[in-house]
Amino acid sequence: MAMPESVPAPLIIDTFKDVFRAERGGARRQDPLGWIISVPDTHQKTVLAALDKERDVRVLTCSTEDEANGVAAGLWMTGEPVIVMIQHAGLYASVNTLRGIAMDGRVPIFYMIGLLSRERDKDPRDSKQSMVRFAEPLLDLFGVPHVRLEGPDDVHFIPEYYRLSRERRGPAAVLVGLATS
Amino acid sequence: MAMKPEDVLEIIAAARGTAICIPTMTTSPAWRSIAPDDLSIGCVGFMGGASTLGLGLALGSPDRRVIVFDGDGSLCMQLGSLPTIAGIGPRNFTHLLFKNNVYHTSGSQETPGGDGVDYVMMARGAGYKEAFAVRTLDELRARLPAILTGEGPIFVELHTGLAEKTPMTDRGGVPFHEQVEKLRARLQA
Repeated sequence: MAMPESVPAPLIIDTFKDVFRAERGGARRQDPLGWIISVPDTHQKTVLAALDKERDVRVLTCSTEDEANGVAAGLWMTGEPVIVMIQHAGLYASVNTLRGIAMDGRVPIFYMIGLLSRERDKDPRDSKQSMVRFAEPLLDLFGVPHVRLEGPDDVHFIPEYYRLSRERRGPAAVLVGLATS
Repeated sequence: MAMKPEDVLEIIAAARGTAICIPTMTTSPAWRSIAPDDLSIGCVGFMGGASTLGLGLALGSPDRRVIVFDGDGSLCMQLGSLPTIAGIGPRNFTHLLFKNNVYHTSGSQETPGGDGVDYVMMARGAGYKEAFAVRTLDELRARLPAILTGEGPIFVELHTGLAEKTPMTDRGGVPFHEQVEKLRARLQA
């Protein structure tokens, strides 16, 4: 197994902006460029900190991941580009909303999910931490397409899985392997 | 005497204009027959989610009023939505709480705290621009213009009795994903 690497926050944010620009195209509304709906995640805290300084991207912090799903769905219905940033514990906490809104409602919701406490030298499925170990099997159980962000070379998965969520009209996720830098 | 939810909904339907309406649980069956339109979306199956679905719609449609028909049992399931909504402060957002003090759909078990819970105080504490209770239809009619056009987020605790139908006694209606598609098409037309 190749050793995973941390992904720098600016690279992720530039990728988010590219995703938003592509979705906006020539749309009338360009402000904000897009929305990040988050429940703070230690694993992605450098991205969240850097987003605070961004003027083009609007960040909404929710109390729970259930709420993040609802807000993202409403924004999508109005044509707004939106990404949900949570951690694995939040995925577990919000599976009924994932099912009820994103799956049954056929709403494309794209998630960035932090694998907090993932061991660098282990495949997440072999982790000693149950919250790391069960994330991918849970997504498999629900039929949610997912992929791991294991280093800077993998950021192309962000636009790919964002588009996939739109094409299949449902949830899709990128799992953040190591804490962002 | 508590207001009948159906009477409340009739009054709102007559005055809502082009507002997006989001009923949940026991307001859903009645709203389907009172306002069978593609500017409404009923939330059943992810209890508590109506308010944040409405928040997303309000943020993405800042020129259109969004009205959530929440329930007290539903709100309790996602009580954190109050500060989430108040924190970002959508000016076009009206949050109506149909307070009947029970989980009507599942057999009318009392909600935690029942009648003693003051959701107006919670909404005020969370930071809603306005929060007040309404106990009669006359009071509702009098305050309706402010409720539907005032600067949000506005929270109104409506003291109601039980609805005639619940999602269990009246299971019909358009599937959720079709409602999503119709509303999306309407908003992006």
